Parts: sequence; structure tokens; C-alpha cells
Amino acid sequence: MRLAWAVTLGCVLALLASCHARDVRPLVVVLVPSQDNPFFKAEADAAARRATELGYRVRVDAHDDDAYRQDNLIDAAIASNAAILILDNAGTDASVSAVRRAAKAGIRCFLIDRAINATGLAKAQIQSDNDQGARLVAAEFVRAVGGKGEYVELLGRESDTNAQVRTTGFHAVLDGVPGLKMASAQSANWSQAEAFSKTETMLQAHAQIAGIIAGNDTMALGAAAAVKGAGLKGIKIVGFDGSPDAVAAIKTGEMQATALQPAVLIARLAVDEADQLMKTGKTDKPEIQVIPCELVTRANAAEYEGFEHIVKPK
Amino acid sequence: MRMGWADTVVLLLKLRAVLVLIVLLILFSALTPSFLTANNLSILAKHVAISALLAVGMTFVVLAGGIDLSVGSIAGLSGMVAGGLLTVGLFGHSTGVVAAVLIALLVSGFVGLLNGVMVTQFGVAPFIATLGTLYIARGAALLLSHGATFPNLAGTATKSTGFASIGQSFFLGVPTPVWMMAVVGAIAAVVSLRTPFGRHVYAVGGNERAARLSGIRVEQIKVITYVFSGVCAGLVGIVIASQLESAHPATGESFELNAIAAVVLGGTSLMGGRGSVGGSLIGAFVIGVLADGLVMMGVSEFWQIVIKGVVIVLAVTVDQLQLRLQSRLMPALLRSRASLGKVTI
Repeated sequence: MRLAWAVTLGCVLALLASCHARDVRPLVVVLVPSQDNPFFKAEADAAARRATELGYRVRVDAHDDDAYRQDNLIDAAIASNAAILILDNAGTDASVSAVRRAAKAGIRCFLIDRAINATGLAKAQIQSDNDQGARLVAAEFVRAVGGKGEYVELLGRESDTNAQVRTTGFHAVLDGVPGLKMASAQSANWSQAEAFSKTETMLQAHAQIAGIIAGNDTMALGAAAAVKGAGLKGIKIVGFDGSPDAVAAIKTGEMQATALQPAVLIARLAVDEADQLMKTGKTDKPEIQVIPCELVTRANAAEYEGFEHIVKPK
Repeated sequence: MRMGWADTVVLLLKLRAVLVLIVLLILFSALTPSFLTANNLSILAKHVAISALLAVGMTFVVLAGGIDLSVGSIAGLSGMVAGGLLTVGLFGHSTGVVAAVLIALLVSGFVGLLNGVMVTQFGVAPFIATLGTLYIARGAALLLSHGATFPNLAGTATKSTGFASIGQSFFLGVPTPVWMMAVVGAIAAVVSLRTPFGRHVYAVGGNERAARLSGIRVEQIKVITYVFSGVCAGLVGIVIASQLESAHPATGESFELNAIAAVVLGGTSLMGGRGSVGGSLIGAFVIGVLADGLVMMGVSEFWQIVIKGVVIVLAVTVDQLQLRLQSRLMPALLRSRASLGKVTI
């Protein structure tokens, strides 16, 4: 009886193992901060889809912005003999040693969305141009408010590089407009709930503002909800990221504009370059690549979907 | 010497964590070709070492009837203290690696002492006291750098600090953190079983009043368990900072849950008084093998979370089953032991 069980179990395991061993396609590991955030999900899905199309085996995982978890997942990628790593990393400094280890193990590393504080380890670091995007959206903000009045700024988490780059980009444009005056600036830590309550408070003191400029779409949407709740009209709100929710709010007029970070395009570029490297042994691109952001307004909002510029057939 | 059937049943239930571990190892080896390689097993053990070190410290606290929710935050704080000392330094002077590590461990032990004092002197429930230090230590870690990372702890290419070798080096082909786990685990196992202190921990957790009446210094024992747990957590923080060559204040979030899960999987009762260090080590291995194996199989992240939860719930269910079965089988157990000429329960 016991022997029968053992034989059955052995057969099942052997069968499973043989199924698995047959898949000899090179492995692509995609690591992103989370899979329940639309931005990261969009880039992970885009990378996974492209890699599958090109004939790779794909594994997607999330490190939850935890450098230690990322370290473990990269170890697992090394142990699985991955050929390519597509990584949206968990910290400029904290990711360097993990990427170095992966590169040393022969994995071709392609960083997307965020760069690391070291060059020569990854085959490419592809980012969207946060500075150019911030200037783009700030210029649209100036146009929308008619170049005069008071405004409020919502900043991202202050320890975050992108929060700094974006606010610098905003002010490069806004500070040059003589009619505009900043009434208040607050950090809402990228959070919708925090942006909502901070905007509510700021509206008590500054109900006459012409507009709100936010460091990301999540905060812009929080601000829009607070403005709506206060029964105020005509306050122009702009954000950053190009999230589907923001695009929908732009269509209804609750938000004015956003800068789309081409997450899907960047993910696809990374996989294409990795594939080229696998097949020809080289890419013709530099390590650091900066992809421009695109301005989304009511005029072109219909062309954007899921962090991607969908080209509509004429 | 022949065991009775009742002994066999109880023994199998007691060894359930080992059995689960063996089943998982066979399963993952069959399903993932590169799982059963020396390279992967070494990586796996290195990952397990982190939760195992936390679990060993936690075991003493739980055995004495407490719980320590602050271990993850202490790990984060310890890494930040070491990172700060190495990069910014103390009063403008960068300390050496040895001093940085010792001070970080000292700070960790101090947080543990705080836990112990709150529990024993001020009568705060362990859950609440350590929940408080969970926030205090995390906040302190964030304050040290205003939320930023301490980078480049390994030093520059020309001048290495040697800090990176704590978590990244090998001794006799085995990663250093695994040696730490082995040494700390072995010492803890011997202390818990062979020293008066160890037996007192069991006594305090089993029946605090009886322990007090028989002259055991209950307060002292409890404080020591919290300090030890704090130091173990501090060690984990240093190992992680060394592996990442940088210290981030959010390191170690939710580690306490992994440690508690490992302790419970290893058969230690959250009521105190029952369990073992060895069990916790096996529990840590079960969780580590499960986590890495599922990642290598490419199971979706969301399923990984569900499966981990199911395993923990099942483990505790079986634990209760064992207790009930053991008491029901007691007559049979006693009979078979009596026939061997020794009656011990």
C-alpha cells in the first residue's frame, strides 16, 4: 500500500518535472514596485507582453519598494538563470549592490522608470524626463489660469528625488510669470487622502486661488475632490503621471492637464533593447536614456489609455 | 525498543514542520529545475537566516509568555544607526566598522530593555508595549536621516570599509549570515534546554504564579528575553544593511509577522511555556523555502500571499489537534511507557 503511494507520487512528480524541463526559452524577470498600482501594473504588463511576443519565458514580481525584498527577488532571478532583468528599482542607492550582483551573474539588467546611483552595471537605464514634463505641465497651467492670480502647490514626498525634480521644473516656469503668486505649498506625500485634507484646509485660507499644481495625479485627484466638495468652480488643477483616473478627470473637466510618463513605451523599449542585445550581442543605445513626457489636455485626452498614447486610426 | 502506535502518532504530529519542509523541498525540486542546486540552496539559507535570527530571539519572548512586535523596527533602526555612524559619524568623526556594529547592537538591546521594563515594571501588556516601540524605533530610524538612505556603506572602490563582508562574505563556502544563524541558534537551543535560565523561561511562560512562588525572578527573566530579542533584531538589521551596502529607514517593515509565523509554525505556543528553538528554526526554513520556491516557480505575487496565510493557519490548526490528540491518547501513551519502565510526560 505504502509502496503504491510512493510510486504514484514519484510518477506525478516526474511528470511535472518533465513538463517543466521542456520549456527552454530564456527567462525574463520583470521586477516592479507593486502590482496593485496602475502605473507599475501598466509597465509590468507591457514588458511581460512584449517579452512573451518575442519568445521569452516571463516572470513578474513586486518588491513593494522594499530594498531587502528586491535583493531576495534578484537572488531568485540569479538562481533561476534568468537571461534578462527588467527592473523598476526600490531605491537609487539601496539597489546598487543587487544590480551589481545580477550583472556579475551574467544577467542583462535593464532599469526602467527609476535610475540607480551607479553607471556601468546596467545595460540601460531608461527614464521619463521629469524636468521636461514638469515644465510642460506648468506652461499649460499658466495658460489655463490666464497668467495671473494665486495658486497652491502640492508636493510629493520630500525625500523622493522625483518630487524635487518636479517642483524645480514647475518653478522654473511659474516663477517667471509676474502675475502669478504662490499662496501656499504643502507636501501631501503622493497620497490622495492627504492631498484631499490638506487642500480642504488650504481652501479655508485661500478660497480665491486660481489653480492647484500637484506633483502627481493622485494628489491632483485628491485636490479636485476637495475643490468639488467645497462647491468651488473654475479652479484649474494640473497633475503629473498620466494615470487613467486623471485622464478621465480631464475628460470631465475636473482636471485641466497632466504630463504623461510613457511607462508602457519605456517598458517596451527596454525589452526590445534587451532582445537586440541577446540576438546581436550589442545595443546601439547609450546606457542613460531619457524619454520625453507628453502633455494630456481635454483636446487630446481620448488618445491616451493606460499610460500609453494610443494612435487612433483616422 | 518498540514504540506504541500512540507514540508514533504523537511523534509524527510533533515532527509535522519537518515533514512539511521535506514535502516542500521535494515539490519545488521537481517543479523548478534550478531549485536543487548548491548555488540556490546557499542563497535560500542566506534568506532564511534573516527570519531565523529574528525567530530565535522571538522564541524566548514567546516561551516566557510575551510577544515582541518591535523586532522589524529595531532591525531598521539598527541598520540606520550603523549606517549613520559609518557615513556621518559621531560628533563629526566617522567610527570604525566594529564600533558602529557594537553601538547599533547596544541601541537594539536598549530598545529591548525598554520593552522589558515597560512590561515588567509598568505592567503594560506585551502586545501594547512592543507596538509602542514598533512606532518609536521606526520613527527614530526615519529621524536619523530625515527619511533618506545612508548610501555607500561598503566604502569607495579604493578604500573599502569591510562592512559589506558581514552579510556578503563566505566562510567554508557557506554565507556568513548562515553561520550566524547556526551559532546563535545552537547557543539558544543549548541555553533553553540545559541551563537554569532556559528552564526558568519555560516555567515563567507555563505558570507565572507558580514560577514566582518557587523563587524564580520572573521580572528579570522577562527583561532578559526582550533584550535578547532586541539584539537578535539588531543583528538582522546590520546583516541587511551590509547586504544592500546601504541603510534605509523602512527596512524590516512587517518582519515581526514573519518571525511570529516561524515561531508558531515551529510549534511554540503563543500562550507561552511550550515550544523550542529548534522548532522555530524549522519554521523559518518552511517560510523561506515557500517564499523562494513560489517566486522561482513564477507563482503570482497575490497567490504567494494567500498560500503563506493558508500554511500558517493550517500549522496552528494541527497544533491544536496535536494537543487534543495527545490528551486523548494519554492512557495509551502511559501504558506503552509504563511497559518500558519509565513514566514521563
